[in-house]
Amino acid sequence: MSSLKHNPPNPEPREEEEEEEEEEDYMTMSFADPPPTTTTTTTTTTNQYETSLQRRLRLRREAEARSRPKSKAELAAETDARRETALSQSLFTSQPKSKGLAMMARMGFTAGGALGKKQQPQPSSSSSSCLLEQQPQSISGGARTLEPIRIEIKDGREGIGLESERKRKVREAAAAAGERAKRAKAGEGEYRERMRREREEARWEGQFAGGQKVAERMAGEKEEEDQGTVGSRPLRSIPVVWRGLVKAREEAERDRRMRYDLEQGLAAARLLPTYDDPEEDEDDRKALGKSAATAYVTADDLDEEDTELDEFNALPADERLRRVVEHLRDEYRYCFWCKFTYPDEEMEGCPGLTEEDHD
Amino acid sequence: MADSTKNLKRSSAEREGNNNQDSKRLKTNGDGSANAKMDEKPNPYLAHYDEDAQDGFNFKSPLDQFERQQTTAAQASEAEDSDNNPWTGKPHSQQYFKILKTRRDLPVQKQRQEFLDMYHSTQILVFVGETGSGKTTQIPQYVLYDELPHLTGKLIACTQPRRVAAMSVAQRVANELDVTLGEEVGYSIRFENRTGPKTLLKYMTDGQLLREAMHDHEMSRYGCIILDEAHERTLATDILMALLKQIAARRKDLKIIIMSATLDAQKFQTYFYSAPLLAVPGRTHPVEIFYTPEPERDYVEAAVRTVLQIHASEPEGDILLFLTGEEEIEDACRRIGLEVDDMIRELDAGPMAVYPLYGTLPPFQQQRIFDKAPDALRKGGRPGRKCIVSTNIAETSLTIDGIVYVVDPGFSKQKIYNPRTRVESLLVSPISKASAQQRAGRAGRTRPGKCFRLYTENAFKKELIEQTYPEILRSNLANTVLELKKLGVEDLVHFDLMDPPAPETMMRALEELNYLACLDDDGELTTLGSMASEFPLDPALAVMLISSPEFYCSNEILSITSLLSVPQIWVRPNTARKRADEMKQQFAHPDGDHLTLLNAYHAFKGAEQSDEDVKKWCHEHFLSYRHLSSADNVRLQLKRIMETHDVELVSTPFQNKDYYTNIRRALLAGFFMQVAMRESSNSKVYKTVKDDQLVMIHPGTVVSSPYDWVVYNEFVLTTKQYVRTITNIRPEWLLEIAPGYYDVDSFEKGEIKSALTRITDKVRRRQAMKGGR
Repeated sequence: MSSLKHNPPNPEPREEEEEEEEEEDYMTMSFADPPPTTTTTTTTTTNQYETSLQRRLRLRREAEARSRPKSKAELAAETDARRETALSQSLFTSQPKSKGLAMMARMGFTAGGALGKKQQPQPSSSSSSCLLEQQPQSISGGARTLEPIRIEIKDGREGIGLESERKRKVREAAAAAGERAKRAKAGEGEYRERMRREREEARWEGQFAGGQKVAERMAGEKEEEDQGTVGSRPLRSIPVVWRGLVKAREEAERDRRMRYDLEQGLAAARLLPTYDDPEEDEDDRKALGKSAATAYVTADDLDEEDTELDEFNALPADERLRRVVEHLRDEYRYCFWCKFTYPDEEMEGCPGLTEEDHD
Repeated sequence: MADSTKNLKRSSAEREGNNNQDSKRLKTNGDGSANAKMDEKPNPYLAHYDEDAQDGFNFKSPLDQFERQQTTAAQASEAEDSDNNPWTGKPHSQQYFKILKTRRDLPVQKQRQEFLDMYHSTQILVFVGETGSGKTTQIPQYVLYDELPHLTGKLIACTQPRRVAAMSVAQRVANELDVTLGEEVGYSIRFENRTGPKTLLKYMTDGQLLREAMHDHEMSRYGCIILDEAHERTLATDILMALLKQIAARRKDLKIIIMSATLDAQKFQTYFYSAPLLAVPGRTHPVEIFYTPEPERDYVEAAVRTVLQIHASEPEGDILLFLTGEEEIEDACRRIGLEVDDMIRELDAGPMAVYPLYGTLPPFQQQRIFDKAPDALRKGGRPGRKCIVSTNIAETSLTIDGIVYVVDPGFSKQKIYNPRTRVESLLVSPISKASAQQRAGRAGRTRPGKCFRLYTENAFKKELIEQTYPEILRSNLANTVLELKKLGVEDLVHFDLMDPPAPETMMRALEELNYLACLDDDGELTTLGSMASEFPLDPALAVMLISSPEFYCSNEILSITSLLSVPQIWVRPNTARKRADEMKQQFAHPDGDHLTLLNAYHAFKGAEQSDEDVKKWCHEHFLSYRHLSSADNVRLQLKRIMETHDVELVSTPFQNKDYYTNIRRALLAGFFMQVAMRESSNSKVYKTVKDDQLVMIHPGTVVSSPYDWVVYNEFVLTTKQYVRTITNIRPEWLLEIAPGYYDVDSFEKGEIKSALTRITDKVRRRQAMKGGR
């Protein structure tokens, strides 16, 4: 495309001019800066009012543009543009008509048709009978080639699918941006309401998480009193109100370990145990970090489906908060709002179940 | 020409007659009068009386009992087991029985009878057998035992897409039959023929059979034609299929077998009037396929990483990595080698031998891929393996045992031609699904394997085309059209090809041939065209060669043509680029790369005559001995063709100042359509004539100050556009030598047209001045 910039604005006058010039030219091949005397034809065809001085200036500028070496990028762009132009033009439309096309027409080819067997039994190949069959033949057996195969130039080492993946991401980003813009358009009042609700929900979530932590600590204290043991235990044995907390923590720990193993690079080979070295003893294995026994064992049922927990998690935040508060009261006679463990069942002195009651 | 073919036909008919008699006589011998025959010792002095001694056998053979096209597998096996070779009468060697044992284990062996039954029942047969089934070596032999070509005088031909395959398979089959290569079993490839009067089974390239058909339109020399590796869909195979389809209708005695290694054989069946199909399972194991979760940023990098990962973590087994070209392969080999050294030191990994494999690699280096994988570094250490980094020649044509892991980035270099810019180029392109499956299959040859595809499953499904485009859709058809014309195909438009090419490609081919004066305006073959088709060369080269005596330099043009028909003779190793370039400068001619080639060739011939060690000389001068000697061989073959067609061999005396000018002018007689003009003075950019493409001169040129006009041998399209192997020319020559093409009126408006106009006027003025004087 950049080629257009460097060409004279109107190539036609130059053409004629050169022919003009040719008549007076004696063996010189240069046409970069023609003498200003050859004015007659050009001025009449294009610009009536261009003075000889202006013309001379213009021509010099054009010549300079032509002789200036193109930058690599310009050149590459122009090369590509020319190739693409040439590749996108069917040869059948080019002028003058090719003799090749005439020969093919004599064999019974019509523009727009494909090559290949006729459906009717082939007549003896006298050219007159071929000429009669003007209709493009309907062909048995799928699509016929009408156009040459496109040339795609690959100039990098991108893997297959990278280009389309990139395009997909751009599309998605555009869609997301559109979505955001739509939301911004929603009314201002609605916006305030939404913000309030979102803030409230976030607060509930935070309080719920706090409640879970308290519940876990309380349970731990109680258990220590009972048995004096710590350690992982089946998730199912944990009350649903704070089971989610434990599960999330264990999952995070497992992910961290897996990533660690992976980042050890080729040590990841251990994930695909292959070679058994008979000379390797227990100590070697420990030293090489090959021992499969890690200190940390996750709960057995970590990956199992837990419908109870899923249902619980699906509840709105305020409901989950209410449940954990109730759980603390029931189990440990602890009021989440008073932050106090009452000595008896009655919980005397606590104003009520909800936060508002404690205001 | 016509007379000689007639003669040929008559003589073969006579021989047929003789053979019939002969077979009768042999049969009566079998009935019990063998003694009489034994007494009748062949007298070497009376050989001219016994004309058929050459064709028939004068020894007893189990084949005497055979009825042509009625044999059974059991009969053939019995003959194979006999102590004496049924084809030569000599005793079988020990080696023969050893090979025979392995042959009996091949998957096709089990279906020999089934094959024969089907073969007897039909004229055209489609045979599908995966690589490793033994079809290429065995099926032609099964046919041999059934067709009994020594009785009919009609040979069996088996085509191969590649020269190397034709040669190596012929050698293998000669061993299997316990005969000398070139006698009962031979091969014929371009510029090399190893067959003799005794030849019964002939392996040949598909292109070679096509060339033969130009003189023998009915392919009357053959009783059975086997097209092997038809799934590769080479240009010549496609044309042969279309021809054979026509011939089969006329010659009911001709049998045709289409052999394919892939499952799309149905297409062949449909094409050949629903021919029956026989499939033989290959010996393959399941291959597990892995995809990457994300597309790769750099497929070479990803490939190297994957190879190392496999080496670190997967059990014993060799690795095959597919990349696209020499440079990329050497780069990957180096990187893998370095990393493996680290892994051995740091991780106690096993050793790994890394071998490159590509077409231009010297044969002895290609052979290294068959070396055994290295042993473990110490006793009890991790076992070693080998890693082969290859172009797609390892996809179908080469079988390497022991491959268990395949790494497939999904690219290959493919030839592509577009008639709109007239550029034929090798471009890196995504492979097809069929190709990807073929690559994966390479992992399952010895035991269950794994294939790592360096693209996502989604990309495999959505971005890869189903089948690789057949070559006919990706080629310049000028040569093919010329061949077809010579083959007597009148109606090219309705020629029944399996995949007809784009109409524009055909139009361009006809147009080019017309400019070259090989076809007249009615599309009829001219005398020049007919002669050009006799040369196994592109039409432009052939025309240049035929017209060279007019420029008093046919010897030189013959040398240049031969040099252009072989791979690059210049060697430029990465380690000694500078020295190589200096050496090339010794041969440099300031006016052109063509002339430089010629200088190098003359120096090579000079070294040969002066009793030097030529190989050493070539090595010192960074020239490829292999390619120079094959150019020498090509020259000899072409010279013979020139002599039979009375193309005179002449030279301008070297002292004459026009020696090189004449050669430069002669180049234009063939290559006037490959000319570029400088865009503007001082610019490095050229514009190709008529196609108007911007090109640079390839940096490998020796021409230090190129003219405004150059002729080029090759248009190279990579990420840039180059013209390679150029020679300076004067535009006046164009108007003089190719006035039809350089008819100023036919040019579109632009710089080239105005430049040509100027030159025309100049020439005219000069002539007027001369006339006036």
